[in-house]
Amino acid sequence: MTDNSRRRPRPGVNMTAGHGEPPALDQAFDGDSLYALRAAVAAHGSQAGLSEGRTRDLVLAVHELAANAVRHGAGQGRLRLWAAQDAVHCEVTDEGTPGEADAARWQAEPGHGLWLVRRIADSASVQSGASGTVAAVIFRRVRS
Amino acid sequence: MAVGADAQITDLTADDHACLTFGEPEELSDLTAAFVRDGLASGLKVLWVSDSAPQRATAELARRGIAVESALAAGQLTATECEGRLLYGQEFDAGRAMDWLTSQMAACQQEGFPGLRVAVDMSWALRPVTGVEQLPDFEESVAAALADTTVSVLCQYDREGFDPVTLATVSAFHTRSVAAATYYADAMLRICRQYAPPGIRLAGEIDYQHAEHLALALTEAIRFEGDITVTMTALRFIDGSCARMIVDAARGLAPSRTVVLHCHPGIAATFELLGAGDMTGISLVGTHDR
Repeated sequence: MTDNSRRRPRPGVNMTAGHGEPPALDQAFDGDSLYALRAAVAAHGSQAGLSEGRTRDLVLAVHELAANAVRHGAGQGRLRLWAAQDAVHCEVTDEGTPGEADAARWQAEPGHGLWLVRRIADSASVQSGASGTVAAVIFRRVRS
Repeated sequence: MAVGADAQITDLTADDHACLTFGEPEELSDLTAAFVRDGLASGLKVLWVSDSAPQRATAELARRGIAVESALAAGQLTATECEGRLLYGQEFDAGRAMDWLTSQMAACQQEGFPGLRVAVDMSWALRPVTGVEQLPDFEESVAAALADTTVSVLCQYDREGFDPVTLATVSAFHTRSVAAATYYADAMLRICRQYAPPGIRLAGEIDYQHAEHLALALTEAIRFEGDITVTMTALRFIDGSCARMIVDAARGLAPSRTVVLHCHPGIAATFELLGAGDMTGISLVGTHDR
């Protein structure tokens, strides 16, 4: 399934190449390390020049995507964050078994995880492929 | 922890000599306010020997919905500091402190009150005070003086400040130990009941992994009547599922009841995303980052 995928390059198998440089943050997570993940994302968001409010939004968005992977996916995943000149890009990879179940897993019911992410991110997309599901969000430095 | 709690602050009766342990100023203010509120409501005289200035102590009680002005004017409520009551020139003498307490008990009887409630913040004993070793003697004398009276004393000990041995020693002289009902506590998160105003208090970071503890705390808070206050001023993060649980709880209440959310802008933003800003039955009260 694809959503808003035209807004950013399609994440492929080698996502690092898509961004042209190694991520500023590359962190594995599971249910016990979401706190550490949030702390790391907050530090990087703030360092990348996002405002206090947008940094909090970024933390919430990454948390919701990671929690989704933990609760409804493989139980663990990986976050990569790039601080580009104009925006912070994040990818949350859930290496769970892809397939039909993904549609339900990434549902955007009002008030629920992905719905919140779409409300706060400048861009949000979810792609499922052979290697799992990749959710990507973009937070621009100055909101248009 | 050396002292376990066996009673709720709202359970205390006439001649109790209760040992309250608290972990943060917010908890102390909350439990003291409940002790004062229930005492005033029963027509008792209430005395609070606080560690802060009396004006600050009464302002804190007023903030929690207690009619401080009228109680002070009627002589039913007194807020004082420990100097001149328990301490004299930063010196503690168990006998002299007991003289003060018994004089207060006699005065209360003369004034015609059916009983007296005294709350004493013991934080002074954490400072270099001469005679502090007499503290257990004092607590033992208080226990003896209260038996079969209508006077209750609530001694307040900071459980982070006092060592476990001292806490265990003094707690033995109390009829009850009191602490805030805690639904969950670890290094990252604390979920407690709040007594004045009634509700719950969340501190730290909360996400779906503790949703069941939050659900239990909310369910118990809902059982009481009236508005429910959720204090989140010390909460740094709340995820969508926990925020949604609080919003849903508010939605399920009778129209006459309101859930009051006290939080910093960062936490308020998450509730606003869920539409809490203009939902009837929810009042979002912002506090600014300190």
